[in-house]
Amino acid sequence: MIELLATVISSAFFVTVIRTTTPLLLATLGGLIADLSGALNVALEGQMLVGCLTAVIVSVYAPWYVAVLAGLGSGAVLGLVMAFFALRLKADIILVGFAINIMAAGGTVFALAMATGGDKGTSINLVSKAIPPVDLSFLGVIPGIGPVLVSLLSGHSVLSWVAAFLVFAIWYFLYRMPWGLWLRGVGEYPAAPAAAGIPVNAVRAWSLVVSGGLAGLGGAQLAMFNYVGFARDMTAGRGFIALGAVLLGARHPVGALLAALLFGAFEGLAVVMPGLFADAPAELIRMIPFIVTILALVLFSYRAQRARQMRTLSKS
Amino acid sequence: MAPLLQAISIGKTYPGGVVANDGVNLSVSAGEVHAVVGENGAGKSTLMKILFGIERPDAGTLLLDGKPVSFTNPREAIEAGIGMVFQHFSLVPSFSVYENVVLGAEPRNGIGFDREKAIAEVRALSEKFRLHVDPLPAVGSLPVGQQQRVEILKALYRDARILILDEPTAVLAPQEVEELFVAVRALVAQGRTVIFIAHKLPEVLEISDRITVMRAGKTVGEVGSSEVTEQSLATMMVGRDVALRVDRAVTAGELACEIKALWVRSDAGQPLVQDLNLHVHAGEIVGLVGVEGNGQAALLDAISGAQPIAQGVAYLNGTSLGPLSTLERRAIGVANIPEDRIAQGLAGGASVAENLVATKLADRRYVRLGLLDLKAIKSNAIALIERYSVRVGGPAQAVSTLSGGNMQKIVVARELSEQPKLLLVSQPTRGVDLGATQFIWKSLTDARDAGAAVLLSSADLSELLALSDRLVVFYRGRLVAAFLNSAALTPETLGSYMLGLATQTEDEMKVALR
Ligand SMILES: Nc1ncnc2c1ncn2[C@@H]1O[C@H](COP(=O)(O)OP(=O)(O)OP(=O)(O)O)[C@@H](O)[C@H]1O
Ligand SMILES: [Mg+2]
Repeated sequence: MIELLATVISSAFFVTVIRTTTPLLLATLGGLIADLSGALNVALEGQMLVGCLTAVIVSVYAPWYVAVLAGLGSGAVLGLVMAFFALRLKADIILVGFAINIMAAGGTVFALAMATGGDKGTSINLVSKAIPPVDLSFLGVIPGIGPVLVSLLSGHSVLSWVAAFLVFAIWYFLYRMPWGLWLRGVGEYPAAPAAAGIPVNAVRAWSLVVSGGLAGLGGAQLAMFNYVGFARDMTAGRGFIALGAVLLGARHPVGALLAALLFGAFEGLAVVMPGLFADAPAELIRMIPFIVTILALVLFSYRAQRARQMRTLSKS
Repeated sequence: MAPLLQAISIGKTYPGGVVANDGVNLSVSAGEVHAVVGENGAGKSTLMKILFGIERPDAGTLLLDGKPVSFTNPREAIEAGIGMVFQHFSLVPSFSVYENVVLGAEPRNGIGFDREKAIAEVRALSEKFRLHVDPLPAVGSLPVGQQQRVEILKALYRDARILILDEPTAVLAPQEVEELFVAVRALVAQGRTVIFIAHKLPEVLEISDRITVMRAGKTVGEVGSSEVTEQSLATMMVGRDVALRVDRAVTAGELACEIKALWVRSDAGQPLVQDLNLHVHAGEIVGLVGVEGNGQAALLDAISGAQPIAQGVAYLNGTSLGPLSTLERRAIGVANIPEDRIAQGLAGGASVAENLVATKLADRRYVRLGLLDLKAIKSNAIALIERYSVRVGGPAQAVSTLSGGNMQKIVVARELSEQPKLLLVSQPTRGVDLGATQFIWKSLTDARDAGAAVLLSSADLSELLALSDRLVVFYRGRLVAAFLNSAALTPETLGSYMLGLATQTEDEMKVALR
């Protein structure tokens, strides 16, 4: 137990948590934008997975940043596909989302096999690149806190910094820019923006594209930093955890950050615990983030229900 | 002078075959208040939606300043200087007043939303047009009268020259109507033009300069307000003479509903009804008088089961209602015509037939062995549509596509198809036309004569005075006066009690609280 505590408060653990949080946070921000526009994006998982594979394959032939952009782009394209089916053809958005998830699960394995010449499990024989860590070791010259700063801040992925900036940028967009007002209005009561001449469906379509793009970016981080290379189903439910994190974060960007950090921390624990508790089965430990998600969501909706007092048809 | 806005032989048939407009003509001059009147389903809202670019006409032309125009969406109509306030508001509840006003046309500073400027502009507008409303609170927390001002400000902020108000007074209390008229006059004085739809003819005659009358999708004619009387206008609208008169109850029967020391509290714990004692007898209508929010609605909610009774008891024929669920209360004879037909009275997406049996799903006639008897449900719907002369395409039409008055008829038909013992009624004729008002009033008095005890709340004093056998006045959750209805009782007398300027003594009230 003491060992566990010591691990958790170490700077190495902090770095691990930032690493595990980053893809989750990017996907959560994506989920947040779609959700606020009134179009629930259940395809985050699939978009992230496709983002992983696209980034890995492109990185074999191109510089890392092109690969990252390709990951982002692939997610955005899937967002556009979703918008087309759900908004233009009026298909049910949840079903469209699941269709994308299913196609992504199968399609990535197929594409992987094509790219590797037959390997259906991992991209181990592809020489893919990684996102370079941001080296801040020059901070070490600051007297006193220098070394601590370096151990906490140096070595994170570029995308971790991007994600942190995006929390602020999305907050600014949603609450300080006119388009954010449109987006929230469209999500809450579409008749009002429609009557004000705002193109409701265009707003939703853009939200889905951005949402998919952010999920794809999360995928790039996962496959080019957290792990280097692709493995089938490597997102392992992170897209769904992100959906939960949106609600848990009270549909606010800062809340999304906190919720993603919470889940990231538990994933981090699942990473360090097998080393500490050799006899606990690794599978059980890997379940922790999911159990926490369920508990957190149950707690959250229980509180929401209590606040919303059941009224009609029930005995008072 | 050439008319500012002209619609010539407009035709519109909805998918499903309802002919809503058929050769409609409208001609509005600059700087006038032009009223459009007609029965429910006459096609007034449809015509307005065409003027505002929400619906496309199948036939006809629109002329603005003498030039032909056609709007494919509201944005184009807004740009041409037309603004519209809908029968059902389109505001984002969690947004503040100023956010709602500027939504879609926000002032900017660089890439950001200039909140300071938005607030200042909204303040200036509400000053200029005498539409007082605080720009800061969330719209969802405001009373309807204020929400409506926000809607009007929204149109004015976009510089509407022509403002369409679709039944603006239907949701307002009498003093709010007066305030709205002050604003409308201020608008016209500053050169704006107003198109105004309403059902209450005295209001129409008071505010408008010219009136276009519609009936069953066609224009019947256009008249100057000074050339007509209420009676002649009513005849034009309905196509026959209408008289709004009801007979008083012959005799009051047994005590049906007894309310003792009743308290109702809001979710936040504030008392809405305080220590109320009231008896309602079979075969009488008791009118609940009061400015909205003084406890009448809370009393009806507590008795129907929509809100818990905090303290005290209410009996119906000796059964205490408190411990019963809404459905159990219905089973012993409580019927409810709620204030908000869309949110509380009907399921919008469901069909007319389904809505008409929605409260009777325990009834063997419609549900057998847990399965719906679709045939019985349909024939029930056909019979009720016939009996209540509802204007619909058929029993399968979705309720949300009915006109407001026809929606109300569906609620009334459902609640009165079975003779109730205790009938709760709130705003029965809000947004309902003359012919239907007459019909609904008749239905209520028929139910009364067949032995129902009726509690009636309405923002329309003339309705209360017309229907009630006794009236009680609410002020801040308490009864402050009670009257036996008579020709001598005037709205002015009631008004002074409603505003808390006068209070009766216990003894004075006792006479009418039998
Ligand atoms: N979206 C729609 N689809 C099908 N029918 C419709 C639709 N909207 C309106 N209607 C029908 O068109 C007719 C005219 O409706 P409209 O709303 O214009 O009447 P109105 O004069 O505004 O009535 P009210 O005074 O009750 O508001 C009605 O019979 C109504 O049922
Ligand atoms: Mg209408």
